[in-house]
Order: sequence, then structure tokens, then C-alpha cells
Amino acid sequence: MIIDVTVNGEPKRLQARSGDRLVDVLRKDLTLSSLFSDCLSGRCGRCFIFLDGRLVHSCLIPAFKAKGSAIVTFEGLRESPEVREIISALEKAQAMPCSFCKTGKIMAITELLGRKPLPGEEEILEQLDMVSCPCTDPVSLVAAVGIAAELRNKRKFNRADK
Amino acid sequence: MRISEAYYPATAAETVELLRVNPDILILAGGTEIVGLQTSRVIELPAQVVSIAKVQEFRKAIRTEQFIELGSCTTLTGLLGLSPGTLPHPLPEVIRSIANHAIRNIATIGGNLCSRNRFMDLWPLLACMDAQVELRSPSGARWASVSHLCGEDGAPFFPRATLLTRIRIPLYSYNFIVYRKLGSTQYPGPGTATFACLANVEHGKVADFRLAFSGLKAFRLKDREMAISGRKTTSSSREIKNLIDEYSRSFSSQEWFDSRLFISLLEEAFERLFA
Repeated sequence: MIIDVTVNGEPKRLQARSGDRLVDVLRKDLTLSSLFSDCLSGRCGRCFIFLDGRLVHSCLIPAFKAKGSAIVTFEGLRESPEVREIISALEKAQAMPCSFCKTGKIMAITELLGRKPLPGEEEILEQLDMVSCPCTDPVSLVAAVGIAAELRNKRKFNRADK
Repeated sequence: MRISEAYYPATAAETVELLRVNPDILILAGGTEIVGLQTSRVIELPAQVVSIAKVQEFRKAIRTEQFIELGSCTTLTGLLGLSPGTLPHPLPEVIRSIANHAIRNIATIGGNLCSRNRFMDLWPLLACMDAQVELRSPSGARWASVSHLCGEDGAPFFPRATLLTRIRIPLYSYNFIVYRKLGSTQYPGPGTATFACLANVEHGKVADFRLAFSGLKAFRLKDREMAISGRKTTSSSREIKNLIDEYSRSFSSQEWFDSRLFISLLEEAFERLFA
């Protein structure tokens, strides 16, 4: 079946069988290499996408259900100021995740800061718990999210560095 | 690989018409359970599937003085996004304990109640809260108790060619609440189960006592609940032991979950209630 969607702002026509998972179709048809489908159960966080603005595990979504939806993947966000700030914050806090979980953690932080400009420690840990990789220590990650939040708020409210 | 046909109805009436034409059509809202249970790369689906996630009628929330009515396709995140105080306690806390944020973004309240394989986290609590579900089929619509989604054998039951459209939760409040999850707190599996016990304690007496336990099957003794309501909270330890024994005997005969774990929850609830 044909599924019309918008991916990273561009209209796309995906070819899928009804049992195909969205993650596989996006990887195969559009060669979106940030996406992986390892666990197929919403545990590893390597298939995160924004579907109509909501962070979801694309491995848990049958491709046919995405018809008419707006999809944003890591590729579409990579050059955004939000993601650049997160990467910079991860570097500053020496909390850069490993290559296995990096995009998943960045997507999770992007979503968290989008809905909570100043998240608490518990919220940060709960959000990052969606990406099951223990490569980075939680204290550094919490610090990195705090730095990213500060950078975002500075830019948003046009605040100069003190 | 079976070639399936997918439908995208825009209204409840169109969905019911699809059910009339093919009573065995699979209706998917979030689909997290059906998809999450399958470990193969390609999901096995019936020949005809319907996606109802975008039907606006199934996503509305209405609150009156007596109850809150929720469209069955309201996502769990959508429920948590309602104004504070809209959902009765302890529903927000319970919803927040289900899976993770990304799964709650697609999982729906209807899907949580419609599972064919096991009872999910909300069933025992909503059963205790006397919640009702609107069931629509080609022959019409009717309201039924959430308890109606449990078959005579205690296993999940959902009528054929039927659609769950709305959930109505009374806004009655309880001042005694015990809610516990056993097994994996995030993802349901064979070892997971949920315990809910609600009551009101007024003037040293127990009122409106309810207790439900569910997992692969559901367990509730309404006649026992009636007998407990009206008791003094200062009941003797012998009386409390008798109550626990009665529940334990009935539960042990069902053999779908480790009765020792159930009994420990029961003891905790009764010790707190009759402290």
C-alpha cells in the first residue's frame, strides 16, 4: 500500500505492507540511517521519531497508521539550534553518549526541553530512562540537560552571557 | 505474508459500518499492545485493519459534576495533559506509572481496557471506581460496567463486532486507596499483575469497600466487598484474619498467579484499613 506522509518537512510517498513497522519503512525507503529497530518493543529508544509532534517509538507503529502524518527524525533536527545546544551541553558536561544511544538520548532531551523548559532531576532521569544504555553516568546527563536548558533559554529570551 | 487492507474512517458511524461489513476486522487505536507483543520484524495482522486514532469523536473529554467522560482514543499522555484535578485521584499517578512517556504518547485509554490477552493496569482501578464503557456495534450503542470486560472464567472478554467508544468515570472520591503493581512496573508480561483497593473510612467505619486484582485474569468478590462495607475499622485481628483467609481461599483456587504475592498485598491493605 501507498502511504503519503511528510518527513522532515518534505512530502514523501512510502511503499509498505500493512505489517511493516514504520521504522523499517523509513530506513528502507528513505535511507534514514539514524533509525534502528533493535528491540521491536519500545525499550531501546533507537527508533525515536516525532510523529505529529509527539515523541514515539517508530518500531511500535505499523507503517499504515502513519498515513497523513508529519514525521520528524534526527536527520531533520540535526542542524537545528536546539540540537546543537544539546550536543554542546553534552560535551561541556562530559556526558556525550556512545554511538549506540546518542541519537535516542538527543531526541529524548529535545522532546523534554520542548515541553518542560526547566525540567527537574526526576523528570530528566525518567525521560532518559527511555533509552536503555548505561554508557553515561546519570549525574553528568542531568547536568548536561541543565546546561542545554540554560542555553536554550538564553537564546529564546535573547539573554547575553554574564 | 498476508496482504492486508487498511481503512481510515473519519467518524464513529463509518467505523461501525466497517464492523457491519466485516465483524472480524481489527480496530487499532494506539496498537501498542498488539504490536509490542510481536517479536517478528513484520507484524502479523488480519486481512482487514482499521486505524481509528485520528477519529476526533474518539478523542473528546467532557467533565460534568458527576463524572468525566473520555473518548476511547484519548492517549495516556492526553489524559495527563488535562487540567489538574480533572481526573479523580489516583488515576493520574497510575497513568504516569504505565510504560514510558513515548509509549504513553500513542497508547490509549480504550486500548488499555480492550486488551484480549491480559488485563492492563487501568482495569482493576476503573472497575473499583464503577467506571462504565460505551460499546457500539452495528445493532446500536449501550453503556456497560468496566467489569463487563471480564468473562465468566475471569479472562478478558470483548464482544465481537463491537467498538469501545467512550469511558465514563464517576468523580466519587475515596479516602482509602491502595494501588500496587507486581512484576515489571513498565511493561506487562506473564509475571505482572495489578492490585487496587478503595474504600471510604468515615466515623470509624468502612464504607464503599472495593478490591480487584488482575493480570492474565481478574479477581473480584463483590459479595465479600458488601460484607466488609459497614465494618468498624477497629475489627479484631481474628476477624481480619478470617477476611484474609476467605479471600485467599477463593483466589488460590484460580491458579493464575502466585497466591502468596496476592495475600501479602491483601494483608498490607487490610492492616492499613483496620489499623
